[in-house]
Amino acid sequence: MKTKTKVSITGYAGYIPKLRLPTSEIAQIWKGGGSGPNKAKSVANFDEDITTMSVEAARHAIIMANNPDIGAVFVGSESKPYAVKPTSTIVAQALGIHKTLAADFEFACKAGTEAMQVITGLIGSGMINNGIALGVDTAQGRPGDSLEYTASSGAAAFVLSSENNHGLAYVEASTSFVSDTGDFWRRQGESYPRHLSRFTGDPAYFFHVESSVRTLLEEINAKPTDFTYAVFHQPNPKFPLEVAKRLGFTKEQLEVGLLNPEIGNPYSASSPLGLIATLDVAKPGDKILLASFGSGAGSDAFSIIVEDNILNKRKNIVPLRQQIDDNIEINYSTYTKLRGILNK
Amino acid sequence: MSISYWRTRDRYYRIIGSICENCKSEFFPPVYTCSKCNSTDKSKIKDKEMPNQGIIISYTVLYEPMLGFEDEIPMQIALIQLNNGVRLVSQIVDCKIDDIAIGKNVKRVFRKIKSESKSGQIWYGYKFRLC
Repeated sequence: MKTKTKVSITGYAGYIPKLRLPTSEIAQIWKGGGSGPNKAKSVANFDEDITTMSVEAARHAIIMANNPDIGAVFVGSESKPYAVKPTSTIVAQALGIHKTLAADFEFACKAGTEAMQVITGLIGSGMINNGIALGVDTAQGRPGDSLEYTASSGAAAFVLSSENNHGLAYVEASTSFVSDTGDFWRRQGESYPRHLSRFTGDPAYFFHVESSVRTLLEEINAKPTDFTYAVFHQPNPKFPLEVAKRLGFTKEQLEVGLLNPEIGNPYSASSPLGLIATLDVAKPGDKILLASFGSGAGSDAFSIIVEDNILNKRKNIVPLRQQIDDNIEINYSTYTKLRGILNK
Repeated sequence: MSISYWRTRDRYYRIIGSICENCKSEFFPPVYTCSKCNSTDKSKIKDKEMPNQGIIISYTVLYEPMLGFEDEIPMQIALIQLNNGVRLVSQIVDCKIDDIAIGKNVKRVFRKIKSESKSGQIWYGYKFRLC
């Protein structure tokens, strides 16, 4: 899918909570030792949720975009603090934005890229000039479940705009591929999601990501070697490397944006944070592939081309790498208290 | 969220204070009368978002917090001087007790303040963390 007019990214920012739980802490409790597939995961503090993380990421993205008039605030998440009451209106209020569309999106781990795609369409159609798309989660994992090792917290924000002279990159094209696939779900009122273990691989993650990326490559007549970088959804460290191999991308194209080993899987923020880590180092002219995955199931794929403005715009931002490295380790007891598992 | 909190939410969400356009003095919480030049001219006293950064002037660590904040102990509370000279009291988060000190730079963050109950509304507002 291509817009009739050019849609640029004029600002971006990630937010990763400071607390880290080493997966060896989880393994010690449930397996008596060892670790998970990732080294550690980011954990929201007692006073952090998707609203607070969205505000922090959005605020910095808007500053990078030179404070444009925002016409859409879309928050993609599966860990909303309210079942009924939008997060997007709280975020808009905290940003001082009122004459705007505001909506919450949910599509498991791809709600953030869904928001990006819809805003791209709204700008491309001329309905709005600027919008902010957020992918954010405080992911849930049942104690002892394999998800507990990876389910983490984080937020990613992108300001998309028709003001192309401010663009640090632009969306060349995007595609989406969906099917009714029950690989992972959480019923209304349930605290933790359920999943079908190995079924989450081939019929779910790999099938949908491969399909959306192959459709994109066909649509823009490109091949994997045309891309400097590639970012795939990262439920664990292994899946993105495997799907990259199947599609013909190399490990080197993924390395910069592969954050799962250090922060785990912040669901809707996973691949968007990978894109931010990539934009932090990309050079003008670089082409970036972004492919999300959301259980249920679907995948969005984007081709993003970096522009000259990125060099100037990056001068005043704190790189995501700094947030990843600036952390405080916690133990499993503290984690259970913060996640509301351990109560007085 | 109480009605009074809702009415003043911008004060908590964005630290909206006042500026007196007569003498350029800034205030938080917002004022109706400028305590520097005594102006009461409503057209000259405007809303203004306070700076995001400041320094710690003084602090304390609470081990016996107020009702509703029991799970947050030890709770670090600081007197902060913002970059425009305005002073306010706020919770300091994301830092170890040994890391907090007078003179350290802090920046504003948006956080949950409290929940009315498991089914009640969540109150959000500003806190600060070391930078």
